[in-house]
Amino acid sequence: MAEETWQHYKEKKNSKPAPLKGIKVLEVCTLILGPAGPGFAAEMGAEVIKCEIPPMGDTCRDLTPFGYFFREQGASFAHMNTNKYWLGLDLHKPEAQEVFKELAAAADIIEDNLRPGVMETWNVGYRQIKEINPSIIYLSKNGFGQWGQYAEENRPSNDGASQGFSGYSRLSSFPSQPPLKSRLYICDNYGALMGELAVLAALHYRQRTGKGQFIELSQTEAIMRAMTWVWPYQQITGQVAMPAGNRDVSVCPADTFRCINDDFVTIAAPAPEEFRGLCTAMGRPELADDPRFKDHLTRLKEDNATEILKIIAAWARTKTPEEIEKLAEKHGFAAAHIWNTREVVEDKHFRARGFMTEVDDPILGKYFDHEFPVMMSKTPPKIKWGCRAVGFDNEYVLKHTLGKSEEDIKKLYDCGALGKWADVPTRRPPSNWDGRAGLHEA
Amino acid sequence: MEQRWPDWIRERDDPRIAHTRPEALDDITVLDLSYKNFAGCCCSSMLSEFGAKVIRIEPPQGDFIRSCTPYGVLYKGEGLNYLSEGRNKHHITLNLEKPEGREILKSLAKQADVLIETFSPGVMDGWGIGYEQLKETNPGLIFASITAHGQFGPLKQNPMPDYDNITQAKSAIQSATGEALPDGKSYDECPWAVPTKASPWIGWAQPGTFMAVGILAALHWRGISGQGQALDVATTESYARFDDYAALWYQETGIVNERFGSLDIACWLYCFAPTRDGAVFLGGLRLEMWQAFADMLGKWDEWDAAGWTTLQVFMRKEEQLKWAPLIFAETRKYTSEELVRMSVEYAQKGRLAPITAVVAPVCSPEEAMKDANWLDRGIFTPVKDPVYGEVIVAQAQHKMSQTPIRTRWVCQPVGHDNEKIYSEYLEFDPAKLAQLKKTGVI
Repeated sequence: MAEETWQHYKEKKNSKPAPLKGIKVLEVCTLILGPAGPGFAAEMGAEVIKCEIPPMGDTCRDLTPFGYFFREQGASFAHMNTNKYWLGLDLHKPEAQEVFKELAAAADIIEDNLRPGVMETWNVGYRQIKEINPSIIYLSKNGFGQWGQYAEENRPSNDGASQGFSGYSRLSSFPSQPPLKSRLYICDNYGALMGELAVLAALHYRQRTGKGQFIELSQTEAIMRAMTWVWPYQQITGQVAMPAGNRDVSVCPADTFRCINDDFVTIAAPAPEEFRGLCTAMGRPELADDPRFKDHLTRLKEDNATEILKIIAAWARTKTPEEIEKLAEKHGFAAAHIWNTREVVEDKHFRARGFMTEVDDPILGKYFDHEFPVMMSKTPPKIKWGCRAVGFDNEYVLKHTLGKSEEDIKKLYDCGALGKWADVPTRRPPSNWDGRAGLHEA
Repeated sequence: MEQRWPDWIRERDDPRIAHTRPEALDDITVLDLSYKNFAGCCCSSMLSEFGAKVIRIEPPQGDFIRSCTPYGVLYKGEGLNYLSEGRNKHHITLNLEKPEGREILKSLAKQADVLIETFSPGVMDGWGIGYEQLKETNPGLIFASITAHGQFGPLKQNPMPDYDNITQAKSAIQSATGEALPDGKSYDECPWAVPTKASPWIGWAQPGTFMAVGILAALHWRGISGQGQALDVATTESYARFDDYAALWYQETGIVNERFGSLDIACWLYCFAPTRDGAVFLGGLRLEMWQAFADMLGKWDEWDAAGWTTLQVFMRKEEQLKWAPLIFAETRKYTSEELVRMSVEYAQKGRLAPITAVVAPVCSPEEAMKDANWLDRGIFTPVKDPVYGEVIVAQAQHKMSQTPIRTRWVCQPVGHDNEKIYSEYLEFDPAKLAQLKKTGVI
């Protein structure tokens, strides 16, 4: 039974293996689309070496809410760069390219999110690496992919551009209002996730055949894939898919309603028993048998949907979100108030499951963060440590992974191939660092 | 390199040649029991695109999700979301409420690698086909459950159905997306200035994709250990995992993230801006890019761009609210296309070239679908479906040199492959199938 399967899941996490243990990943990634993917792999136990150009490293280190830093780190940066090893490697330098190739020879996966061809100008592109490691799986992620008009124009891109290009934002706004940007870096994060999906499928293929491959991912194409009905709708009806605010035009009723005291509640009740439950909760059981609302397809039609949503809106305006949540539980439909960050961070259920997990980092201290959201009964993914300064693990990686001598390492520093952090906040370790904590034993 | 990179790679990963290549997961069999839950459908679609054989099991009347279609529009009897997400799957019917149906499920599960289900926690156990029961006869089975609250924790008994809009509301993402209510205004005057959800079913597509990633990691582990396992995704947790900075920000400062329109709390320059004919996205996450943008608008001297030394200042709320109207006054003078062009040209001739800001059009889904760049890249190439004819669904989002993904067909009617699958896996003959149909088992 499920109780047995999941008993003490949270407590036993540390005594169980990780699913991707032994998989070696090299990332040359910046911002979010790039690093988030290897971050997922690292939480599943892959050994990820993050290569940054010293001394400034990943631009994402700068990005932080209203200029506020989390324990002297960028907050977004800290969130997605967990469990990684940190290498400050200036790939403009031939000596650094040689180090990268030595690492690549023993790696399973390489990921970058630079513009097309940049890795090749550094002599570490797919064509160069496959000569030394034919079974490498090489993922390049960006806005427009490796070929096509926009890629040829060498356009820069990022999450917001992708929200624009895909139609995602235009659709996710209110009718007659300007398009609305999501508060999430949704195209970055979803693109990163889709990238890992392909990498793991390629890994499965490699285990069967020994063959590696190159994978390209455009984050815009990835988010378009998630916009299911939009494309067949436009093809089949000849109509443009239109914004509809909080109303779900494929599920009826499903919308966000204003309650008493200007709070909001989201409701969904499309299935017959759910809709009947909602009508009963509203004290209007007869609506469930009204010919305009009798079944889901009929209810979804524009006039009928408008009508039933109007009825629900008038009712919701007299209730609190909590009253409606209780009625939903009693009558078997779905309802939720609009949760904020505080509620998610402090939620008992999320804490009990170890989703809001307490990280105990030797440098950053204790804090709660979101665990990898697939719980795995035998191989639980987990956050082990947080983000680090540029080049923090140089010595560990070069000695432990490549077997370099002190003298070799010194030469690499001297020629600038290897480097550490700039002495500025977000690049250097926190000011209370004792010079030892968080270092891996070489 | 003799051949230009974009030409070399396009020869190898253009979706037009996908049908000539092998598939990464064609040794994997998946049973998809998703009911009333699009996350499960997305999860099995993702695996099927990489070549997994997916047997989609619906109750004899079909899955309710087929009726979840925009405005009630059907195409040849099919809802448009399911028309996209039935892809590549063999559709059979099976009544799990009948003991005979459950015996048949057990026989199929013995031969499967992965089982995906979305029933309320405990339902599969109650039917005698939960993970602990099925692993007795198939210890390598990966048993993947997707639900609103997960398989364990205080809310595991909560029967609330899982819907996309509920996930968006409960993950604290909707609360921080949307226009802020202008000072002195009420929701009556500005009904669009409310917490706003994304229109696409991202609260379903994303957890489905996360689960697919988890399944592939579990398959990797099974290759090492021979062991299957149970996987658990709660849709709200999954979507909340994309919240990059808000949880850390809150814990350190007590500040709860709020709506900030189409500006960005954690980035500058990073916003949508109005133009003469619509809107563009503007991105300049490095100081030089923001300077390049000011220069492009002819404001280098007036705004003293040469004197700017750090982006941090501009990320502050009051600075963002000061600068945004100044920028918008300029962008309103141009069309979106003019601004995009200016940015591309600036990369060639500007004072800071090749540095330039990201300027991207905010497209409608119609413009996106007609964009020659995406058409060339094969994302909207119609699928030639044996039942539904030529249908446009987003496809080919992963471009891979060895094992490209593909969409063989978009959907099938309820029970379409009963005969084929039951004969292949269980050697049922037509007489047996007729009898099962008569007794309501299939």
